[in-house]
Amino acid sequence: MYRVDITADLNDEDHTGYLWTFLDEARDPAQITPGALVVAGDEDAAAVCQVVDLVPAGDGTIVHLRPLPGLVDDYRALVERALAS
Amino acid sequence: MLGDRIEQRALLRREQPPGRTTLVVRGGRDSIDKLRSHAQRTARAWSLDGVPLLGISVFAVLDMPLEILLRRRFASFRTIYLPTVSHLNERGFELLATGRRPHFTIRLLRADDRELEKLLAVLGPAGPNPQYAKTDGWREEG
Repeated sequence: MYRVDITADLNDEDHTGYLWTFLDEARDPAQITPGALVVAGDEDAAAVCQVVDLVPAGDGTIVHLRPLPGLVDDYRALVERALAS
Repeated sequence: MLGDRIEQRALLRREQPPGRTTLVVRGGRDSIDKLRSHAQRTARAWSLDGVPLLGISVFAVLDMPLEILLRRRFASFRTIYLPTVSHLNERGFELLATGRRPHFTIRLLRADDRELEKLLAVLGPAGPNPQYAKTDGWREEG
């Protein structure tokens, strides 16, 4: 089970080639800024992504995300190695 | 500032529809509620001919073997669905060539319980993704 920063369908992709979702689906929209690293998806499938940009669309703001390689668990292991004393 | 929905008609790829035996991939483990949520998200953002577009994202197995597509695009999913184009079409679902090839949107008309139950049945059982966690990069930048 994942606790994501922003809910998204990781299958979604638009004409930009990026994954997208809406800003108001973020737990803390203030964290969703271009260049930020976030975990996107849902409780079953999640990925570490970089925020590309935010674009007004429909009744909200679309967030484009660039999924990064690897699993969320891989990044946890990376950070644990890096911070090990 | 609020914007208009993104009109898809002019953005649809002009290409031959995928063949009937083409496999279509969707990652995850869906439920009626999840499909409804995803379809409504699409309709918030996109329109087709001026009408909100209810739709669900899939990728067709085109231009590359299934194994490569799974590794590039679906490595975060433990499970996947693999219906065929003909299976979707025979149950009345239209595939729109949205986004970048090989992405498609399964168009829904109402996204009510009945239609979503039908879609879930057409997707079939979720099976294990043989390329889960085997990513060698999400995909090439387009």
